[in-house]
Amino acid sequence: MIEILPPLLDALSYILVLILVALGLMIVFGMMGVINMAHGELFMVGAYVMVVCQSLGLPFLVGVLFSGILVGLLGLLIEAALIRHIYTRTLDTILATWGLSIALKQGIVLIFGPEAQSVISPLSDTVSLGEFSYPLYRLLLMGASIALIGLTFWLFLKTDFGLTARAVIARPDTAATLGINTRSLYRRSFVIGTTLAGIAGALVAPLISVDPQMGLGYLIPGFLSILVGGAGPLAGVLAGGAAVGGTNSLLTVWISPVAAQIAVFIMAILVIRLRPEGLLGGRRGK
Amino acid sequence: MGNNLVTVAIFAALAALPLFAGDYWTGQFTYYLIYGLFALSLSLVWGYGGILCLGQAIFFGTGGYLMAIVTKGMIFPDLTNSYLGLLVAITGPALLALALGWFLFAGRGIGGAYLAIVTLAIAVVLERLMSNWYALGGYNGLLDIPPLDIGLFGYSYELWDALPTYYVILAIVVTLFLALNILTRSSFGLVLTALRNHPDRLAFFGFSVLQIKLVVFAASAALAGLSGALFVTVDGFVSPTLIGFSLSTEVLIWVAIGGKEMLLAAFLGALLTRFSEGWLSELFGDFWTLILGLAFMASVVLLPRGLIATPLQALTRRRRPTPPPS
Amino acid sequence: MLEISNLNAGYGEVTVLRNFSCRIETGQVTALMGRNGMGKTTLMKSIMGLIPVKSGTIHLNGIQINGKETYKISRAGIGYVPQGREVFEQFTVAENLRLAALGSSLSNLDRLPQIHDWFPILKERHDQKAGTFSGGQQQVLAIARALMTGPEILLLDEPTEGIQPNIVHEISLQLARIARETGLTILVVEQNVDMVRTMADHILFMENGQLADQCSAEELRSDETLIHRYLSI
Repeated sequence: MIEILPPLLDALSYILVLILVALGLMIVFGMMGVINMAHGELFMVGAYVMVVCQSLGLPFLVGVLFSGILVGLLGLLIEAALIRHIYTRTLDTILATWGLSIALKQGIVLIFGPEAQSVISPLSDTVSLGEFSYPLYRLLLMGASIALIGLTFWLFLKTDFGLTARAVIARPDTAATLGINTRSLYRRSFVIGTTLAGIAGALVAPLISVDPQMGLGYLIPGFLSILVGGAGPLAGVLAGGAAVGGTNSLLTVWISPVAAQIAVFIMAILVIRLRPEGLLGGRRGK
Repeated sequence: MGNNLVTVAIFAALAALPLFAGDYWTGQFTYYLIYGLFALSLSLVWGYGGILCLGQAIFFGTGGYLMAIVTKGMIFPDLTNSYLGLLVAITGPALLALALGWFLFAGRGIGGAYLAIVTLAIAVVLERLMSNWYALGGYNGLLDIPPLDIGLFGYSYELWDALPTYYVILAIVVTLFLALNILTRSSFGLVLTALRNHPDRLAFFGFSVLQIKLVVFAASAALAGLSGALFVTVDGFVSPTLIGFSLSTEVLIWVAIGGKEMLLAAFLGALLTRFSEGWLSELFGDFWTLILGLAFMASVVLLPRGLIATPLQALTRRRRPTPPPS
Repeated sequence: MLEISNLNAGYGEVTVLRNFSCRIETGQVTALMGRNGMGKTTLMKSIMGLIPVKSGTIHLNGIQINGKETYKISRAGIGYVPQGREVFEQFTVAENLRLAALGSSLSNLDRLPQIHDWFPILKERHDQKAGTFSGGQQQVLAIARALMTGPEILLLDEPTEGIQPNIVHEISLQLARIARETGLTILVVEQNVDMVRTMADHILFMENGQLADQCSAEELRSDETLIHRYLSI
């Protein structure tokens, strides 16, 4: 039994990171109808901030903090310069943020070059699970992801900010007639979404190859998770992320990563087509 | 009338181009014309059909691979005729589009943003698949694809030289451009406009929305397949990059910058972007891609009708251009 | 005082309001009557900034509010009860009311006892989801929610639509009482003659996007010709 534990843990850590990425996408999509194709690149920028912080000799946690702050600020800039002008044009948001993703990717190539960078794991210890040993950092990554996911849920479900945010999702005009500044709420939510992407990028950086193409590898599974999960703005992401991420990681145990990815994409497309309202049912997105 | 004059002037300039451009640029423009044809296919399905396909390279690449398989004699070593190859490269993607379209659009099908993401995912998957399909060259692709043989009745005339190749491609592009113009100005074009704006009312008037969508999706795929096929005969090489993410992105940029709702603008979008790239990328180096991304972004936000279409419409229609919705 | 002059507004290319002008006096209950499609809801939405004004002005106490964002208009002192109520079905009664305080000012939560006093049902069903309410109860909640923002003037768009007659009467009595006790200015779009008779001081009649006629409550009681002419009853 114990031999399936490491792959299960790997699957879980992939799922949690995917959910972090997808949550940011979902907040922005569910709330403003904005499809942010540059979300993967914001994740990438987070990882690169970590690269810089590490080369400056800063502690890992400071790097995570900086990634969140800088990518959040970048999100603020993007919202003010770009997204604000196209809120009501969902399909145009795809195109404009796609242009942004190209620009960000190339900006990174210009600064760091196209080759992969590496981030050293802050913890090299391993934990022994019976006869297997498992890297401690991966376990901490899972803990941090769960904490961030929990924090996001708490923010949107339990706080006053969350109450106004959910009101704006449900009835933007009515919320405005109660004195709620919908635009400023959109802006804050966008920044929260990008900050999540930045932190996720920084946290995963020690485990993957940090290169200019890394965003796409998370963007599409992230979107598929949202579409597969469906339903309420946040709960669906958990189901979708678990379905997409879990299937992918577990299939990789038996078949090649390429075949696993192809299988997952096909399955996701089938689910999206046959159950457009998502696995959890409920209202169909915009 | 003004519109036709501009079209004639542009194609006349393209016909005269080899007279003053050297072999190098003639060769480059052969590629640009093919990209222009590819851009027309996306303009048809997106600008006229209202179906945002983020994975248009699916059909370009399929066309390219099919052309390579047939003309290299990989299935029937004796049947390597170029016309047969083109036929397969046109019908193959069209059938693929019909199957895909039926799967995606039928019943309470998916549209809009959902469709965009799904088509993009399909393109990424296909690129992955082709990179690992070793019988078809895998990551390295297929080499030594013979050039187009336009001989008839047993005679053979292979397009090895730049000049004849250029004119044959130009002739094909002009013919299809005119055909598309006639098509979009016919009653079918009117139905497409209705499909974009009021699909529900179209159904009310007895049209099958599914049928129209499938027709325009398949026609666009056929065009994309043809451009892919022409591309590989000119390039002699087909690889997974022709079917995947980057080329899908590029064609989207050309058409968005040019203007998706105007065939001429979409076509020119491809030509001018590729031309500037060939010309300016040496000057700007790695900054070129950055500039392209920013230009794409700016044109979507500021000129949703297109960077080229907006002045072109002002020039040709002699009426006030519609201001972009704020 | 709400003063509207030469207002033109509508949807896209269609102009619904044509040079509409009127004055809503402070402390009065004004009813706006007219047949469907005459522009009553369009007027309410233009006041709230939900649809753009093409020309003309709207002033609240001498300050121009047209062209401002909706949330600023709300904060300037206009409460709005939209047609169809539009309560947040997924939220509890308490959350619906809290939301209104969050939009205006958290200190408005002090109004809660007063609101519970006016509408005791909201206190009883404090933690119940608004979606489980009947139409009349939702209407009460929508009114309470608008009052929670501490408005100077309350706009109500067809508050009796789809509600049982006995509850309609109850709501109009309660609104009349609130207006009397607090000096709240009310503009109510209504087709229900009973409600208008119960609470209105002044009546405006609207036809084809214009102010067609107006009269006082006494005149309406003594003379029914205006009602017949503008409502075809």
